[in-house]
Amino acid sequence: MNTRSPFSPKIRAVLDQERVIPPVAASQRARVIARARASLGAPVAATSAFSTSAPRTRWPAAAAAALVLSAAVGAAAYEIHARMDRDPVTPATAVAPVSRLTPSAPAPSPPSAEDGDLVPAPEPAVGAPRLPSAGSAREELRLLRQARAAVARNEFAVALVPITEHARRFRNGRLAEEREALRVKVLVGLGRTNEARRAASDFQKHFPRSVLLPTVSQMSVSGGNPD
Amino acid sequence: MSHLRLLTSPPNQLAPDEGCLLAFQGELDYIYRTLRRLGASPSETDDLAQEIFLALHKCWTDYDPERPLRPYLFGIAFRISAAHRRRRYREVPFEIVEVGDPALGPEDALQTKQARALVLAALENIPLPRRAVLVMHDLDGVPVADIGSVFGIPRFTVYSRLRKARRELETSLRRLTNAIIR
Repeated sequence: MNTRSPFSPKIRAVLDQERVIPPVAASQRARVIARARASLGAPVAATSAFSTSAPRTRWPAAAAAALVLSAAVGAAAYEIHARMDRDPVTPATAVAPVSRLTPSAPAPSPPSAEDGDLVPAPEPAVGAPRLPSAGSAREELRLLRQARAAVARNEFAVALVPITEHARRFRNGRLAEEREALRVKVLVGLGRTNEARRAASDFQKHFPRSVLLPTVSQMSVSGGNPD
Repeated sequence: MSHLRLLTSPPNQLAPDEGCLLAFQGELDYIYRTLRRLGASPSETDDLAQEIFLALHKCWTDYDPERPLRPYLFGIAFRISAAHRRRRYREVPFEIVEVGDPALGPEDALQTKQARALVLAALENIPLPRRAVLVMHDLDGVPVADIGSVFGIPRFTVYSRLRKARRELETSLRRLTNAIIR
């Protein structure tokens, strides 16, 4: 059965206007979130996160970025799978990239309080990085697959959940590079341009030779005006 | 890449409270607009949004993050809106006072505001079950099959409701437009 819109051009134009979701007023948003948090009985994070409701797809590099990021995560998945098949317990010599987020380079600057960021950038590592097991590699991959699936649906806020989870559990994981690239993309998608730029800058510091670097830089530049 | 098929999607490993609140915050604009489309007045949206959050929190561990969140939220919003309507035993009168979109210029904002007000008013004349199908399909772009699974109704019923709701919307919009012109 045909479900194409049977409406006249005039009605279609009116419906097009209604399709754009207007942002909730900041005061109302703060009130509702505070109420929701209170109902949980425990503070979770700052109130003003997601307070910017910019259009969700305004970056022109989205298609190219998606392609590159997909390829990168796919390649990483293949590598993990191949390693798991060969050697369930990864030897120390095979995990040099693990220390990529714990170099002597300056640690990423923490998000300012006014950002109210619910997605903290990875903190500097304490102690030696742990060797990832096959199970944790699978788990890393699962989280990033969730994030990518949400990004593909333009559900950037949803994508932040597995990204945050990955950063919390696998701060220096094998897929940390892909995670941080995805983080930039998600922040751009959410219109949180300043945070996206900061994340892109941190990415450049930690992964100066990453193949994703041009895409990440382009994403943060094309993200629009500062929020 | 056969391992990709073997990887299952267990419930989100993030603390449920945190994940749920994050999702709720991220989709708050959508939740508010959906409530308005389903007939809630501006003064009711805060309370209904809170009910949605509580319902979402209750079933958050059952939510499969591989699935789109919005249709899931819409299902919750629909049930809460329907229960709310039953409680108050009457239809919501036309009460279309919208907060302007700060991203638009004055003329665009006025035009958009009028168009949105018109659509909300026209939607009010469509019974809720048909309106829900129309909003999901024609405004949110949800496929018919997914709408059927959200409401637990056959695909044929979705098509039938959609067809009728579109006729009702068109008639309602025409009537409202004529009333404004006169």
